[in-house]
Amino acid sequence: MEILLQLVYSGIALGMIYAVIAFGYQLTFQTSDTLNFGQGDALMLGAMVGLTLVNHGVNYWVMLPLVIVFGMLQGAVVERIGVQPAIKIKSEFGWIMSTIALGIIFKNVAENVWGRDDLKFPSPLPEAPMQFLGANVLPMEVLVVVGAVLMMLGVEFFNRKTIYGKAVVATFNDRDAAKLMGINTGLVITFSYALSSATAGFAGALIAPLTLTGATMGSVLGLKAFAVAIIGGLTSGLGIIVGGIILGIAETTTGFYISTGYKDVPGLVLLLMVLALKPAGLFGKTAIKKV
Amino acid sequence: MLSIKNLEAGYGKVQVLHGISMEVPKGKVVTLIGSNGAGKTTTMRAISGMISPTAGEISLNGKRTDGMESFTIAKLGLAHSPEGRRVFATMSVTDNLILGAFPRLTGSRPKGDVQGDLERAMELFPRLKERRNQLAGTLSGGEQQMLAMARAVMLNPEIVLLDEPSMGLAPILVEEVFRIIADLKSRGVTMLLVEQFAAAALKVADYGYVLENGRISVHGNAAQLQNDPAVKAAYLGGGH
Amino acid sequence: MLSLVVFLALLAAAPLYTSNPYYIHMIGTIMIYAILLFGLDIVVGYTGQVSLGHAGLFGVGSYTAGVMFMKLGAPLWLIIPASVCVTAAFGALLALPALRVTGPYLAMVTLAFGTIIQILINEMTFLTEGPLGIKVPKPDLFGAKLTEHEFYWLVLALMALSLVVVDRILRSQLGRAFEALRGSPVASDCMGVSVYRYKVYAFVISAGFAGLSGCLYAYSEQYISPNTYNFELTVLFLLAVIMGGRKTRSGAMLGAAIIVILPKLLDDLEMFRQVSSVLAVLMLVGAIVAIAKKITTPRAMAIPVVGTLALAAFSFWLQSITDWRLSIFGLMILFVVYYLQDGIVGFFRKLTSRKTSRGEAYHAPSDAKDAITVAASASGKEVGGELLIAKSVLMQFGGLKALNDVDLRIQRGTIHGLIGPNGSGKSTMMNVLTGIYVPTAGSIEFCGRSVVERSSADIALSGIARTFQNVQLFGEMTALQNVQVGLHHTFNSNLLDVALNTPRYQREDESAIARGMGLLNFVGLADLAGEEARNLPYGKQRLLEIARALALDPQLLLLDEPAAGLTAPDIKELIAIIRKIRDHGITVILIEHHMDVVMNVCDAVSVLDFGQKIAEGKPAEVQANEKVIEAYLGAPAA
Repeated sequence: MEILLQLVYSGIALGMIYAVIAFGYQLTFQTSDTLNFGQGDALMLGAMVGLTLVNHGVNYWVMLPLVIVFGMLQGAVVERIGVQPAIKIKSEFGWIMSTIALGIIFKNVAENVWGRDDLKFPSPLPEAPMQFLGANVLPMEVLVVVGAVLMMLGVEFFNRKTIYGKAVVATFNDRDAAKLMGINTGLVITFSYALSSATAGFAGALIAPLTLTGATMGSVLGLKAFAVAIIGGLTSGLGIIVGGIILGIAETTTGFYISTGYKDVPGLVLLLMVLALKPAGLFGKTAIKKV
Repeated sequence: MLSIKNLEAGYGKVQVLHGISMEVPKGKVVTLIGSNGAGKTTTMRAISGMISPTAGEISLNGKRTDGMESFTIAKLGLAHSPEGRRVFATMSVTDNLILGAFPRLTGSRPKGDVQGDLERAMELFPRLKERRNQLAGTLSGGEQQMLAMARAVMLNPEIVLLDEPSMGLAPILVEEVFRIIADLKSRGVTMLLVEQFAAAALKVADYGYVLENGRISVHGNAAQLQNDPAVKAAYLGGGH
Repeated sequence: MLSLVVFLALLAAAPLYTSNPYYIHMIGTIMIYAILLFGLDIVVGYTGQVSLGHAGLFGVGSYTAGVMFMKLGAPLWLIIPASVCVTAAFGALLALPALRVTGPYLAMVTLAFGTIIQILINEMTFLTEGPLGIKVPKPDLFGAKLTEHEFYWLVLALMALSLVVVDRILRSQLGRAFEALRGSPVASDCMGVSVYRYKVYAFVISAGFAGLSGCLYAYSEQYISPNTYNFELTVLFLLAVIMGGRKTRSGAMLGAAIIVILPKLLDDLEMFRQVSSVLAVLMLVGAIVAIAKKITTPRAMAIPVVGTLALAAFSFWLQSITDWRLSIFGLMILFVVYYLQDGIVGFFRKLTSRKTSRGEAYHAPSDAKDAITVAASASGKEVGGELLIAKSVLMQFGGLKALNDVDLRIQRGTIHGLIGPNGSGKSTMMNVLTGIYVPTAGSIEFCGRSVVERSSADIALSGIARTFQNVQLFGEMTALQNVQVGLHHTFNSNLLDVALNTPRYQREDESAIARGMGLLNFVGLADLAGEEARNLPYGKQRLLEIARALALDPQLLLLDEPAAGLTAPDIKELIAIIRKIRDHGITVILIEHHMDVVMNVCDAVSVLDFGQKIAEGKPAEVQANEKVIEAYLGAPAA
């Protein structure tokens, strides 16, 4: 029982990471009907850049905002190079392939800069587990959950309270009407990509001390986070948190009770099932076609 | 204030407007009427920058605006309340109105008293005041139309484009909408009104243009046009 | 055709020129990949879907061969068909759920699928030996082990066979269906070609080819292991298709060559430096020439020029290029997606400016006017009586009642107009009648059967055809091909008939061409049969849509604002055609705003306003009706 509870805690932490990545997918999809197939690699870059900074003596807590800034730049680059040209020529195939290509390039660059081996990320918090409701929880796991929730709340606050945030929400709602308000929707889209990569990078820096950090850490994460984004219907924030937690727990329990090799399977199967049964997600709404 | 010369526009292969010319003088209400498919909404979209004209000139206060992006034209003081309302459904009535003043709040237009204008808008549109915190998507068609119009006015614009404000509204609401338009007119707001319902539009406007198959067939003082048989023919055929 | 035969002969002769097994193996690999790419092109190039799972299907093919050899000792003639069938089955397993979604969703699903396959291969060690891999020696044929050369010729033969089969499929009604569902899914469904079903067919067919390819790959490499069939391989396959050129067989072969030769090129740093320098110089010169000739602007050329220069400089700075392979591939993808959208083959075809009319000459058969008569009598119906009965139809979207308790009765053999101001519900009614929307309430009976809850394709095949307010033609296909999609229902031939070019298929193909020409003749477009639909003038596009709809042999034809955007002479022609259609016994429902058309041609008119029917009767009555006048012009305001 104690082990199960531990697995649940780890699962929740893992799930929150998925939720944050999924959150990034939602951001860009809502403003531009596109998403970044290299989202997982954005997470990886955040972790790697964070690692380098920390190894050069930068304090962990100072490193976090720096990684966020890096993420914003990286996201803006992805948008300018990969997405904007595709939106201009109205090619769905275009942005799918180019975000994939950029993801591959980033991963390759990371392999060459940081090597192909997994590296250890020093933990800013004590590694001794704490007791909570009779089971062990790592302080870092708590930080992950807190950090993820704070990040998402922060974005929500921005959206609701600042005029620029409202402009972003307006673009979600109706791009043409937003333009009529004097909102430069192209900039909004660039911004949403910047924010999306920043949140992914932040998630990477958060989860790095808990798992192995390496150039390949992002790929499958990105795919599974998409499953979570789909469960949330690409429009619901609560949905991705619920979906993330379900997936996280499913994975940690599969990894323990069945085998680590199969631990990625629940997420992937979940993705297939949700898309097969209810493509709009468990929380989303189906769009109505107009001819 | 708004000057259109030989405007041609369309969508891809379909050319809808075949060279129309119009003027909207400052402080006046001009209406553009015609049956469906005549090109009224296309005209509005070309003016506000939602589509790019293929030929012709559009000038706002002497400055050429054809070919500009719609957000740039909005910053120049042209407010467009579009066909179908297009309110921001997941945002509250108040937020929708605040967004109408976006260029004022972000430095592209003189700021003025945004909060004060917000209160005044609520007075002008009492239904909105009652529902200030309600999500725009849950409003009825008529209320959304009011919201779209109020939102346009929040820009403190030089000119307001009203695109089919009566579309889909029950007759009682149509009356209310036109009452508000008349009120705005009395406050000196320059307006270009596109309407399918010629009768109400001609009653409130100073001047009218009739659009038929992408060309201006008749134009003149609104009062005169009200009784012109050419107007009826433009809608219901017979007369050709 | 001749060039292809020559090319294949050269390939066959290759082993005689060089006995170096390295090159034989390399060309063999290119041909093996080409087989997979022929199939992948169907999915990516024709139906326009992105599949990120084909490396997984490739793996299924390889492992079916490996496992059957290792566990069952099965012979070659059993393993090949088994690989094809097992992989096709996996393809179906993936396609059936996956193809209900499109675009990025589909890409993600196929990616998940590919990843799962790799995990399963890795973990199910009892079957696949997991990471240890399986050794697969060259197969036996007729009792003797195949030599390198003999295996090479076997691969060549199978590739040539695949090429012929794929080519036949794509020229047939199946190929047209694949292109149609990409051109306009809505129109495709409404012409009786179910988008979902044909996307699945395309996917399963491509899986079959992937299986064949995977099986041969196992024998070629003589050793297979799970980590080959990874995401990078899938991306490489996609790069091959788009760089070589989609929708062409030569593009697939070129693409295969690129992705096999390129890594080898990249292993040799010296060679890479030379090649990239040459490329940079060529690009610079080409850009200068193009700018001077005013074909393009400095701005557009900036990125490619700077990019190639940077690449060349980079290559000199590096010590080894192997590690940067993937980045090179990534850059190539970016380049192709934005600058070489038609691939290399497509680029050269444009350069030699082949005419877009497909060159084949069509002549209108002399008994062309029978095209419609044949259709009408084939439906075998009597005149008079009610063809369509709609009762109390309610269509509600959230709080909006687009159709509010509407009754509509259409008499057989009449032209029935449906008019009303903007937003009154006319197009909604069309969409409800053709299955695009399911009505919230009410009943709709056509020829005694209910229409509600049936798919658009099903409704189309039962006798209701339509045109669209915003023209929905299959732009990249010719006029004749567009009409032939409407004739899809006349084909009973299946995949086997097409692949083997049976007499049945040949008959149906010829008859479809003849009828198609007849229908084009009916609307006056016979001499534009070979033009791509997107190049036709707008008025002719609308007529083409009508011809396509008539190909369904409908009893009821729905025309959605056919006169919109037409000039006066076009409108006269349209009216004449609509009358001819009615005279052939087809009932017509006409939505229009052009009152002249409506008054001129309709036998009865129904008027909608706010989703409700406010008047009905003969055109002249309706025109004079007070309520109707008010609905359009508005009441004189208060």
